[in-house]
Amino acid sequence: MMVFLRALLPLLLFALAGHAGAQGVLVDKSDIRFVSKQMGVNFEGRFRNWKANVVFLPNDLARSKAEFDIDLASIDLESDDSESEIKGPLWFDTAKFPVAHFASASMKSLGADKFEVSGQLTIKGVAKNANVPISLKKDAAGNTVADGTFTVKRLDYGIGLGLWADTETVANDVVVRVHMVLSPAK
Amino acid sequence: MRQPILEDVSEHYSGAAIALHWLTAALIVANLSLGLSMVALPISPRKLQWFLVHKWIGITVFLVTCARLAWRWYRPVPPPVAMPDWQRRSAATAHALLYVLLLVIPISGWVYSSATGVQVVYLGLVPLPDLVPKNKELAAVLRITHVTLNFALFTLLCVHVAAALKHHFGDRDAVLARMLPIVKPKE
Repeated sequence: MMVFLRALLPLLLFALAGHAGAQGVLVDKSDIRFVSKQMGVNFEGRFRNWKANVVFLPNDLARSKAEFDIDLASIDLESDDSESEIKGPLWFDTAKFPVAHFASASMKSLGADKFEVSGQLTIKGVAKNANVPISLKKDAAGNTVADGTFTVKRLDYGIGLGLWADTETVANDVVVRVHMVLSPAK
Repeated sequence: MRQPILEDVSEHYSGAAIALHWLTAALIVANLSLGLSMVALPISPRKLQWFLVHKWIGITVFLVTCARLAWRWYRPVPPPVAMPDWQRRSAATAHALLYVLLLVIPISGWVYSSATGVQVVYLGLVPLPDLVPKNKELAAVLRITHVTLNFALFTLLCVHVAAALKHHFGDRDAVLARMLPIVKPKE
């Protein structure tokens, strides 16, 4: 029975992720990607599994919120080698810190479909403030599409230590691109 | 008995063709060795560095091959040395295949790099466009494609070298000598 439940758990979590939040983040259409540089060369990655809880009310920003839980071990990099390296203690140390968490504290309008979400990003036990500028648009199906881009300084969080600490090898700046498609509010 | 080697060399390849041929040879030997060694390294900054250099050399091979083909068109190669028809046809086919591989293999590496989500920046200076979006399944296919094409290239190179040596030491004709930079016929 336990084995069965354990097998079922990821499915349940996945289903929950599917309709997390009042507006419903459409997980299949949304993604969390990042770009950084290794030795001056851009490389991309993304996270396959994450959960979002987004309530976005343009006319009531005080009651709006955005929360994300990112399963760091679900990272998609260029090779299996890199993926297993980045889960290790020098990088994310996913055995100890499996989840990166973002929780919004406030949102403000920057005019014309532009907003700024401020909150706290916690990775590897380190919490730092993050300001994420967001631009909104509607897609053909009437969904709200929110795109936010912000820069994480990996060394602030102790990501990539030891022989990887040199920012000439892997840049300190990691540009995170959050692309969320929200179904219309009921 | 060795006289014919030098007499036939009247139709030598041009200096540029010889230089580009041996430059290509050096680049290929370097990059095949680098490619095989780098994939065996544990992940480390050194591994990343070797991958970068491997890509630079690969793109250089592509560019040098384009230059060679352009030069061949501008200054056609000397007519073939006297040999049986089947040998002439086999040589022509092998040379054509070598050119194809020298163009296709760097491109296959470039597409593969794009599919893994890593941009190619030639010599660290010239960013090349990503040919396909990041796609893990495609990357796995392209990896096998790149490796297989390189095994084909390696096999063909062995045949190419063996044939050159066979002509030089067996048939004692000018096939190899006319592609050598130093052995020029004495006046």
